[in-house]
Amino acid sequence: MLYTSESIERLVEQFAQLPSIGRKTAQRLAMHVLKMPREEVAAFSKALVDVKDNVRYCTICFNITESDPCSICSSQKRNRAIICVVEEPNDVIAVEKTHEFNGLYHVLGGALSPLDGVSPEDLKVKELLSRLQDDTAEIILALSPNVEGEATTLYLGKLLKPFNIKTTRIARGLPIGSDLEFADEATLTRALEGRVAL
Amino acid sequence: MKILNARLSNFRNHAETEFNFGSHMNVLLGENGMGKTNTLEALSFLCLTKSFYASTDGTVLQRGKTFFEIESTIQSDTGKELRVRVAYDDQQKKKKFTINSADTEKFSSVIGMFPVVILSPENNSITFGSPADRRKFIDLVISQSSTAYVEDMVEYRRILRQRNKILTEARGKDCAADLLPWNEMLVKYGARIIHKRNMFLQEFAPYIAQTYSHIVDERETPKIEYAPTVKVSGDLSLENIIAALETKLQKKKNDELRFQTTLVGPHRDEIIFSLNGMLLKHYASQGQHKTFLVALKAAEFFYLKERCSDTPVFLLDDVFSELDEQRSGKLFSIVESLGQTFITTTSDKMFGGAEWNSHRRKFIIRNGTVAQEATA
Repeated sequence: MLYTSESIERLVEQFAQLPSIGRKTAQRLAMHVLKMPREEVAAFSKALVDVKDNVRYCTICFNITESDPCSICSSQKRNRAIICVVEEPNDVIAVEKTHEFNGLYHVLGGALSPLDGVSPEDLKVKELLSRLQDDTAEIILALSPNVEGEATTLYLGKLLKPFNIKTTRIARGLPIGSDLEFADEATLTRALEGRVAL
Repeated sequence: MKILNARLSNFRNHAETEFNFGSHMNVLLGENGMGKTNTLEALSFLCLTKSFYASTDGTVLQRGKTFFEIESTIQSDTGKELRVRVAYDDQQKKKKFTINSADTEKFSSVIGMFPVVILSPENNSITFGSPADRRKFIDLVISQSSTAYVEDMVEYRRILRQRNKILTEARGKDCAADLLPWNEMLVKYGARIIHKRNMFLQEFAPYIAQTYSHIVDERETPKIEYAPTVKVSGDLSLENIIAALETKLQKKKNDELRFQTTLVGPHRDEIIFSLNGMLLKHYASQGQHKTFLVALKAAEFFYLKERCSDTPVFLLDDVFSELDEQRSGKLFSIVESLGQTFITTTSDKMFGGAEWNSHRRKFIIRNGTVAQEATA
């Protein structure tokens, strides 16, 4: 046995299971927990259990929430005619941070990827279609700029066509504040592809 | 560019070897199995982030060791010096590529930064082997001159794997609905690759004609022809390629279900080499094969030199021993006219008259060490 305490060893194992935490870091975290006051540790462990107990998915947009429907879906201030489709709850946070979008969201729960066993039935696609109403004015597809995100965008684009709703995808291209000459060729090629008329 | 020096640690049979290279020609002399090719392999790691013949990083690790490291100073044509380091940790199965101590996130972004042309016995498969060997050859040339192509290839391979997964999972049953978005992706990226390959082969043709005529006096005309996966009506424009791919994909639908794999796309392209209109693969002599290969590689050098921001380095692995005296003399005169070259050989007979100085260096490699470095 590596550790002189079984409890420490169990805690290290638990920390090491977390993403981007290696064994060394897990060990450092466990030692830190040992030095924390008991109340703080109790509050920490309660926060962990609370996340599991209180957080659920909004039955309309499938974002994470504690009240169903979520605060965005139930807000009267949001423009209900625009729906922004994203892959994960993290993406909602990213778009919200811009303060530029005042519509609603729809979280798919991933992107099409046969290699990971994700097909259309595994995504909240049916649920998206059932949300569409006469006053829905635009669907914005804001999926990741990789192969899976692009395939999902194409898939949804085809699916939404018969509904005759304006469907857009976010642009991919150059980062703000950089010089054109320093952009890598691949990014520049994509940016040229997605050029817009003035 | 020039590789000024290199330090190899735990790399194949090099426990710890240091080189200070000459700016023009570097001859690595030694018996078989002493570590000459390993040195070239290490240089290929610096330029391409990987070996030119080992398939996995772990295989080049010295037995019993847990990591290898290659460190080098590379000087660009403009005189700027970069510290390049490749380190591989076998326990974490992790490779790191750093340039001036900054980690490189995407290895594919390094391709083309340090252009390299390699001529080794493995390359014989380019003229003798399967279409895959010829695709690999042109892909590496295009990749080194276009980062967009590297990205397209990476994404195309991913699309192919995704699409093949659907076909194998379907076990012959209809899966048209699931395939739909992936068909569109395959056509889009596939067309881009075919378009680029076609443009490249047209640009490349004059280079091979020129280098071939340098080596051979007889009037032999080499030709490289592109035979893409689809017959395209009209010129090879992106629109025409897309249309042709869509049609063939539709036609092969049932075959794909039966074979459970993607049968249409640039991964099925063929590149045809011929001499005076005769197929190289079927009619050429051993000597003609070798000449063709040497001409291809020299053409690659001149092509990359014009398109990359830096002059490529040329690695020649045990090449002269395979050629007759006349041809190797011609090759030698070409090599003399190139930039920095690295040549492994078991005999320095043909370098007999050479003078060794800071431009031309001779290294005698014995059991993974530099036994003697001839400079003066």
